[in-house]
Amino acid sequence: MSEDVIKGKVLKHDTQTRTMHWIHLLAFLILGITGIGFYWDIAGIANIFGGPANSSLVHRWTGVVFTVAPILYILLNFDRFSRFVDTITSFSKDDFAWLKTMGGYVPFIKVEEVPPQEKYNAGQKILGILIIIGCLLIILTGFPMWLWRDVVAPATLALCYNIHFWTAIIMILLVLGHFFLAAIHPKSRVEFSSMMLDGYIDAQITAEHNAKWFAELQKTE
Amino acid sequence: MSIFTEKVGMTRRQFLKGTGMLAVVAIVSGVFAKIGFDAFAASDEYIAQRAAGLYTLDEQMTIRKSHENPEIIQIYEEFLSPGEQKYLSEKAHHLLHTKYGKDIPSFIDELKQHQDVA
Repeated sequence: MSEDVIKGKVLKHDTQTRTMHWIHLLAFLILGITGIGFYWDIAGIANIFGGPANSSLVHRWTGVVFTVAPILYILLNFDRFSRFVDTITSFSKDDFAWLKTMGGYVPFIKVEEVPPQEKYNAGQKILGILIIIGCLLIILTGFPMWLWRDVVAPATLALCYNIHFWTAIIMILLVLGHFFLAAIHPKSRVEFSSMMLDGYIDAQITAEHNAKWFAELQKTE
Repeated sequence: MSIFTEKVGMTRRQFLKGTGMLAVVAIVSGVFAKIGFDAFAASDEYIAQRAAGLYTLDEQMTIRKSHENPEIIQIYEEFLSPGEQKYLSEKAHHLLHTKYGKDIPSFIDELKQHQDVA
């Protein structure tokens, strides 16, 4: 890594990616809140959305948004999607070395130097894979619970409810962890504005956190 | 100040991975959808068979209308409306039309008032 400070900005997330992330985030929040309201029968949550029946309707139709938004994004941005899939499914020695040190994010693991990472570090890659699997499980169990509840066997429906619930709980925990690292943790909170605001991140920070990817970007300059 | 941006487009490897993931998702979703639509079809078929069974049972009955039932006609002619078949007679109304819930206590009182007539 060069000792010189690199002046400049990196466009990490373009407009369509940020828009999709915002839509999916808002949909996820509404789904999570209404879902928690259903499971623990919290009248206060249901009443925010106009009572239990309206809350259920909001949950279902937000589920449609949650499903359609990434589909539209993938169809309109297949190259970006393909690059993303390629990155999160490619694990090198540096990724495993990163995982051993947890990227220096865990206070009691002393790290001299964090291995160079691609556009997404090993932790983000694992998160990406888990989010894709989680979304699929939630979508594939959610629609039968809505549309086929009168025709599938009660045991099948119960299985759908269990998978839907536990996947949602894991997803909520993952998203909370994602939010902490991307918006609060001092080492990485600069990522927040790149996804939630203008898409740009400081070049020097990219050179330190995503050295392999930044080297590629420099080649294309 | 330099602005760094990603190279547009994708490599063959990236294309294959993107397509592969979409294909896997499409196949898994397709299998789920097939299971659901089969369940729908099976449910529709069951409802159709059940309805057909009920219609067949009905068609096979000798007496299909209550007002053509000889025993009912006899009850009306001999007791509920003596000498005629008056289906909404006073006695038929009191004895055959029932009430539910909170109306029951008043109904019992009403029946008691007419017990001599019955």
